[in-house]
Amino acid sequence: MTIKSINGCIGCEECVKSCPCDVIRMERGKAVIAYPADCQICHLCRMYCPVDAIEMAPEKSIPVIVPWG
Amino acid sequence: MTAPNDATAPTRRTFLALSGATAGLASLGMAAWAQNNVEIDVDAVTNTTHATDVLVIGGGMAGLFAAVKAHDAGAATMIVSKGRLGSSGLTPFGKGFFVFDPATETGTIGDFVAAVSRSALGTNNPVYTRQLAEHSLDRARELTDWGFFDQTLANRPFMRPITERAIPLLERVVITHLIKEDGRIAGAAGFRLDAEETVTIRAKSVILCTGAGGFKPNGFPLGDLTHDGSIMAYQIGAKITGKEWNDGHSTRSTNPAACYDGWGDMFERIPSTNGVEVHHDLGVDINYRAYMTGNPVAGGPGAEQPTDEIAGGPFVPEEFKNRAPPEGGGPGGKGGAPGGPPPGFSPGANVGGASAGMAIHKSEGLVPVDDRCASNIPGLYAAGDALGSHMAGGIYTQIGSSLAGSAVQGAIAGEAAAEYAGLADTPVIPDARIAEIVAEILAPLRREAGYGPAWVTQTLQGIMIPNFVLYIKKGTMMQAALAYVEELRDHHAPMLRAANMHELRLAFETRNMILSAEMKLRASLMRTESRCSHYRLDYPELDDENWRAWINIHQSADGSMQLEKQPFDAWPI
Repeated sequence: MTIKSINGCIGCEECVKSCPCDVIRMERGKAVIAYPADCQICHLCRMYCPVDAIEMAPEKSIPVIVPWG
Repeated sequence: MTAPNDATAPTRRTFLALSGATAGLASLGMAAWAQNNVEIDVDAVTNTTHATDVLVIGGGMAGLFAAVKAHDAGAATMIVSKGRLGSSGLTPFGKGFFVFDPATETGTIGDFVAAVSRSALGTNNPVYTRQLAEHSLDRARELTDWGFFDQTLANRPFMRPITERAIPLLERVVITHLIKEDGRIAGAAGFRLDAEETVTIRAKSVILCTGAGGFKPNGFPLGDLTHDGSIMAYQIGAKITGKEWNDGHSTRSTNPAACYDGWGDMFERIPSTNGVEVHHDLGVDINYRAYMTGNPVAGGPGAEQPTDEIAGGPFVPEEFKNRAPPEGGGPGGKGGAPGGPPPGFSPGANVGGASAGMAIHKSEGLVPVDDRCASNIPGLYAAGDALGSHMAGGIYTQIGSSLAGSAVQGAIAGEAAAEYAGLADTPVIPDARIAEIVAEILAPLRREAGYGPAWVTQTLQGIMIPNFVLYIKKGTMMQAALAYVEELRDHHAPMLRAANMHELRLAFETRNMILSAEMKLRASLMRTESRCSHYRLDYPELDDENWRAWINIHQSADGSMQLEKQPFDAWPI
């Protein structure tokens, strides 16, 4: 799931700027989850959001490769 | 794919349920070869030019100090970052800052350097180890003044000195090329994420503060770090070192990609300082245990680390054995025991490879030719994790040294680059060269069809991340992996497609990871011994007779990758 939802965005762009992986973009003045496959689930967007609009989930949306299962 | 606002991004499960795995992956941009449904008018892309004395690339701890010190030394200075100051790379994650305070330490700096060298089995460069200790207190005091130790998020304190000095800052600009003219650095070029625009920056001196990198592994905040600086520098003739070392951070088998859930304490904590605490951590011990005994590894995160001996495995000096990991021995200090338990989170089976493709801090990157962070390209400097200073060696030694080392080296490089720029003529970059670079930057957008960068990255991960390739190494397996990587290098990297500026970034990151993988395999094949975080099943012993040496990599005139030894006690020739 990664970044799960943005509810109550005030359009400040803090999340867009603070995302290291360019997952979030602005559309018509609001932040949208544009590239969820690239989310590294670091929560920086949530931590920078001034109005707690961002909800996270721990699941990755694409297959995960690890050294051993 | 764009999810509407106030809506929920699709989960993998719903994708799979709705459309089947293949269609789901294609929807997420994971298709392999496909038509390029380009979303922008490539012919309308404009080029913006800038000029400065010193260009700092990267907005982490090293970039901050490089810019501040270059400015304060009188150079016109500019920062460019593909992310945001203090909010990209590993900087938001590092919360422990090593300070050698003579007023409180019982030993001398010489004692400290000697302890690091004993733990690192000689792999550290003692000049950089000493420099870390000598300058750490001054850097910590400046960070204190800026409010760094008062809060969780680094952007605000980092912006204070930048705003006070009015240092120009270009954020969300991806640099893809370093420009060399007449044998010295002349600038850099890249593109904006938020506009259909390429960017060219003419500079007398460039400092790479581009951080480390990995293979976009799961469970660690490395998704934006792909060794961009090293690869750009390699392509203009710089020497690269330390590619055979590993960083042994682990994650949990449940939701392994959730780096916050595994290491969240590192993001949430307020930074703090710590004194001398030398360890021998973050090697491949847990990888060896998993390889030999099967999985899951007993005593995963949240549990005591296993203490029973298994035969063989990485050599640990007696002095550093059986030391309980400090309260949090993760990167940058406290916050999770090495190779194991992220703090404060529920236990679960352990999975290694959270930081796959990354080496121990500051062991991997540009080869310094002196003690001032200079590379072998005149005018090109590097600092922090982009500089292969071997400050701590090929194993994690001093707790908190990663963040402190970036601050110290950033400041040294900033002053050195300003001094160089003060004596250098303004470089001239011919228009034809700029046009050639812009064409290279935009090439993935112009391809009518090509390989998706996300698919190529996942293919690379499948080759490089398994435990039996780069962690528990064998010559035959690395040769096999190298054959795959050469295929990606020759047949996929030149055919990467991008539909927009986001994918253009992924295309260049993918290319960089492929070249980094080749370097890591070639260096690991060449090093026919085991030492620190480099462990070979077919050469399990230390070989002091032949291998008291680092491995430097450079591109030869015919484009091939060349490797050479550099003795531990020498600077490059």
